[in-house]
Amino acid sequence: MQIELEAVNKIYNQHQPNEVQALYDITLAVEERSMICLRGPSGSGKSTLLAIIGCVFPPTSGRAAIAGRKLSRLPDRFLTLHRRETIGFIFQRFNILPELSVLDNVILPLLPMGIAPGECRRRAEGLLNKFGIDHRSRFPADQISGGELQRVAIARALINDPPIILADEPTAHLDTRLSHEFMQMMNDLKHEGKTIVLTSHDPLVAEHEGVDRIVEILDGRVVDS
Amino acid sequence: MSQSIVQKQLNILDYALSSLVRRKLKNCGIFLVFAAVIFLLASFQLVTGALTQSADNILTSVPDITVQQMEAGRQVPISIQSLKKLDKLFGIRKKSGRIWGYYFDEKNGANYTVLGLDFGRIKPGKQLNLSLAHGRFPTAGSEGEVVLGPSVMRNLDLGTRQSFSLFRPDMSMVSFKKVGVFSRETALVSDDLIIMSIDDARELFAMAQGEITDLMIQVGNANEIDTIARKIGDLLPGVRVLTKAQIRKTYQVVFSWRSGFGSICLIASLAAFVILAWDKASGLSQEEKKEVGILKILGWQTSDIMAIRFWESCVVSGLSFIVGYSLAWIHVSWYDGVLFSPVLLGWSVLKPSFSLVPVLSLTDVLLVFSFSVVPYLGATVVPAWRSAIVRPDSVI
Repeated sequence: MQIELEAVNKIYNQHQPNEVQALYDITLAVEERSMICLRGPSGSGKSTLLAIIGCVFPPTSGRAAIAGRKLSRLPDRFLTLHRRETIGFIFQRFNILPELSVLDNVILPLLPMGIAPGECRRRAEGLLNKFGIDHRSRFPADQISGGELQRVAIARALINDPPIILADEPTAHLDTRLSHEFMQMMNDLKHEGKTIVLTSHDPLVAEHEGVDRIVEILDGRVVDS
Repeated sequence: MSQSIVQKQLNILDYALSSLVRRKLKNCGIFLVFAAVIFLLASFQLVTGALTQSADNILTSVPDITVQQMEAGRQVPISIQSLKKLDKLFGIRKKSGRIWGYYFDEKNGANYTVLGLDFGRIKPGKQLNLSLAHGRFPTAGSEGEVVLGPSVMRNLDLGTRQSFSLFRPDMSMVSFKKVGVFSRETALVSDDLIIMSIDDARELFAMAQGEITDLMIQVGNANEIDTIARKIGDLLPGVRVLTKAQIRKTYQVVFSWRSGFGSICLIASLAAFVILAWDKASGLSQEEKKEVGILKILGWQTSDIMAIRFWESCVVSGLSFIVGYSLAWIHVSWYDGVLFSPVLLGWSVLKPSFSLVPVLSLTDVLLVFSFSVVPYLGATVVPAWRSAIVRPDSVI
């Protein structure tokens, strides 16, 4: 299994007056080369679950193993290293730095790895070419269209060649055509061997042919899988 | 591995540079203020250094003991015959008389120092540690020949003329011939100086035959200076005996007080800047917080974010230091430290118009560096850490 969660709980601000439990006994297993969609209303715990899968923080209790590595005992530093090597993130508003060029945005995850600029550029140009936006590589990111921005975000998520891609509400700000395009690209990536986890309210995402499983979350619990 | 660490730092430095350019308004403000602070600090230090250097030059030319006749608490001429009374003192290597006076140039409102020497006994270039830009020093028997400081030459509007005249107290005139001009290296002592023979000086000031203003004594053994000075005081009633150490102390007291006062003012301004830098570095905008969150979720460690801030601070402070110090050098060497001269120079001690020759020493550069760049880097460490601990999940 690429992602294995067993009785995972997450409590924010534990033992403090503002303590909040976001996840209750989540158990979930995701196979390699599959695409799952986490679905649920706002505040249901989708993003917290995505953050645990994305090695952003460990669970408060329970067992979480991502790409074969147990998170519970990993110090923050190693959690970051594991995240860098195994996870590619695509955010709701893509979180592209607007004043950087398209190319500079894509290579951001490579910089702290000590990879030479020439190699960074070669990898980024390869991905930009694959997604058909290589002609925009020198443009500032705030001067490209929404569809191009989406491709930049995907290219950035893939630059480290991670086995797992996480996308948080990726189509929330896209029109139907771009949403379709996005899901098609995710499906292609799945077939290239990536494991994909999406969170979405959008029926277009959940009902896409590439999605292998929908996991319904409500009030921090898996209610249907 | 080590190559990868170096490459990682180069990548982060590259990112820091682009980050500086993206926030150019904020960073330009810090750069300008910091460069101005360093300019002030370095100018002050260069002016003080140039003055100290010049003062040291003066002190090497000061005789071991200077004897002056006092009357009613004021200096009056002393007879050259007093020198003979010192013949019986052991330990005196050389003794001679001089006339040290001031000539007021009414037309230009300037005051010149006139030094009358016995060229038979004193070689100005060697013994007074003075150097010439061009020309030569007068020799024994060459009456009417003088060497001038650059300011005197400028004020008298000599140009290529060799001859000029000065007024005696009774308004009759005495003519002189310029045979040399002092160089800038000894400007502190020679810029307003006219050196002539002791007889010409006596003639100019209308002093009686055999009268001088000071006796100059050189002692064979430096350890004996105080003892011989005391004996001279016993031998010649009513004289003031000044040793080289006393004169040095006077200069040090004047410079130390003035430069100490200036340093306190400048360090206060530096402290104010460091507080400003802290404040600027602490106030992260929403965009900056978001950027740190994005970088962290993309796999940047807290230490990597701190490294960005460190490189940003290094670039800003390094550039400010280079620009500030270079401007200070130009200010002191080309404009004679015009901002600090009024603070450091007092008419009672030094003449107002002369050229400064700054001295570049590694110690002084490091001193300014450690009083400016190091506190700045220190002041940005905690804000850098605060900006680096933004949680990565803040962007999910």
